Amino acid sequence: MANVLEQLLNALALAGLLFLVSAGLSLVFGILRVVNFAHGVFYMLGAYLGFTAVALSGWFWPALIVVPPVVGTVGALLESSTLRFIYRRPPIYQLLLTFGLALILEESIRVLYGPTAKGVDPPALLQGAVNLGGLLYPRYRLFLVVLSCTVAIAVWLFLSRTRAGLVIRAVAQNSEMADCLGADVARVRTLVFGAACALAGLGGVAAAPMTTAYLGMGISVIVEAFVVVVIGGLGSIVGSMAGSLIVGAAQTWGAFYLPETAMVIVYAVMGAVLVFRPWGLFGEEE
Amino acid sequence: MSASRVWAAAALVALAVVPWLLARHQLSLLTDLLIAGLFAMSLDLIMGYTGMVSFGHAAYFGLGAYASALVLLHWAQPVPVALLAGALLAGVVAVPVGWFSTRATGIYFAMLTLAFAQFLYTVAYKWRDLTGGSDGIAGVPKTLLFWGGPSVAAPRAFYFLVAACVVLSFVLCRAVVGSPFGRALQAIRENERRFTSLGRDPRPFKLGVFVIAAVFAGLAGALFAPFRGFASPEVMFWVFSGQGLMMVIMGGIGTLVGPILGAMLFILIQEILSSYTEHWMIFTGVVFVLIVIFLPGGLVGTARRFGVIR
Repeated sequence: MANVLEQLLNALALAGLLFLVSAGLSLVFGILRVVNFAHGVFYMLGAYLGFTAVALSGWFWPALIVVPPVVGTVGALLESSTLRFIYRRPPIYQLLLTFGLALILEESIRVLYGPTAKGVDPPALLQGAVNLGGLLYPRYRLFLVVLSCTVAIAVWLFLSRTRAGLVIRAVAQNSEMADCLGADVARVRTLVFGAACALAGLGGVAAAPMTTAYLGMGISVIVEAFVVVVIGGLGSIVGSMAGSLIVGAAQTWGAFYLPETAMVIVYAVMGAVLVFRPWGLFGEEE
Repeated sequence: MSASRVWAAAALVALAVVPWLLARHQLSLLTDLLIAGLFAMSLDLIMGYTGMVSFGHAAYFGLGAYASALVLLHWAQPVPVALLAGALLAGVVAVPVGWFSTRATGIYFAMLTLAFAQFLYTVAYKWRDLTGGSDGIAGVPKTLLFWGGPSVAAPRAFYFLVAACVVLSFVLCRAVVGSPFGRALQAIRENERRFTSLGRDPRPFKLGVFVIAAVFAGLAGALFAPFRGFASPEVMFWVFSGQGLMMVIMGGIGTLVGPILGAMLFILIQEILSSYTEHWMIFTGVVFVLIVIFLPGGLVGTARRFGVIR
């Protein structure tokens, strides 16, 4: 029983991190019709900036609060200085542009921080384990579950209940019509791109104490996030949640019962979804 | 003689004459460049002619490299046997991957190809007994041209082998593109919905071109392994897939010859910058971003726009 609970929490913690990344990826696709290849690098940037912030201040909490807006600003600046000019081109070019940006950012981080992984200590409050009815479980992972659930609910409420969320959904549904009705589409795009990067950055800071900040974490997370959105459907927040849970569960139980094959199970799930619903569980058929 | 024939003749003469004028290091650079050009050209088949962006093309290059390395190292067969093995393995693996990936279109296709490539990369990385893990397979020999034939170990001999493969592949790719099959691919690129409404199923065509492109990428990889003397997981890594995309875009998408020129430009930039800084990828990335924004046709597309060539 304790074992099942532990696996369940592990799956939720992993799914939470995946959601923070894939939600932004999906949101940006909904608004900009661009799959942001650089999205994983913003996650990595968050982890490294988190390392710097913790090293400078000695505190984890300020890093968790300060880093996401910084990552978001970097994202928004990159969108308005490059991507903005090529929205009218075929989607290939936008994908390639974000690929170029990913390369530049990844190499810049390598130059600034060097090749070794950077460890980040969790805050004192979240160190050690907590006793959950006989199961000793790391506090930090529990915190990840709480954090990502909170963010998921907040994002969902923001999109479905606020006026700004309404405008974003309108732009996602039909940007020309939204433009005619007075929405500032260019601004919405920049802000959504920035917000998505900030979410990824938050994921990065939150992940750093568990995984350390290392080169290559961006690509590994973007590949997993791609799998999540292929399963869940691009452009759907609910799809990102469902996809994250499926991938998180498949990886956790896969790693537990059949190590070495965890990723194979994830790909098998993705293959099954593609055969029966090529546009994803919650996506819309093009 | 038409202009394109003059260009083709000039290119052939250059390929034959230039190696005699170069120093050893430059010759090796030229060989490298031709192998990269072959890789980029194969990517152009799916990217430029069918409109499907693959983010995982390096996987087939890598499969070719591993197959070739194993055949040469363990069985000491002539190089062409290794080339066939590399091209064949890449093509065989591309069938299931392509079957899944071509069910999706556009962005989904790009993501799927990347996911499968990272999966193959992980396999190459973890299957230590066969692939040597992160160390890869070293000491791959350049063997004979055929059983009892001459050795291709000399740099110039190997260069001519590579050049012959590239020229042959170029001719074959041209034939593919010009065939009814190739016309169908371009129709799919222009308007897949119309293609479908004319009563044709695009998927066999997409799968077909995906496998053909993988075969040529595998051939490039199979040349790479004996040329460099090793095969390692890096050649399957996403960064290399991305470099292929960059070469295609820099040279000119949908032109076949453009990607070869793009590979030339890319490797020359790399060669020049890497003597100044080890972080040349940043500058290459910047050049690439600028080309995507300002010169979407690449070298060939831009030259066409200004009427330098047709």
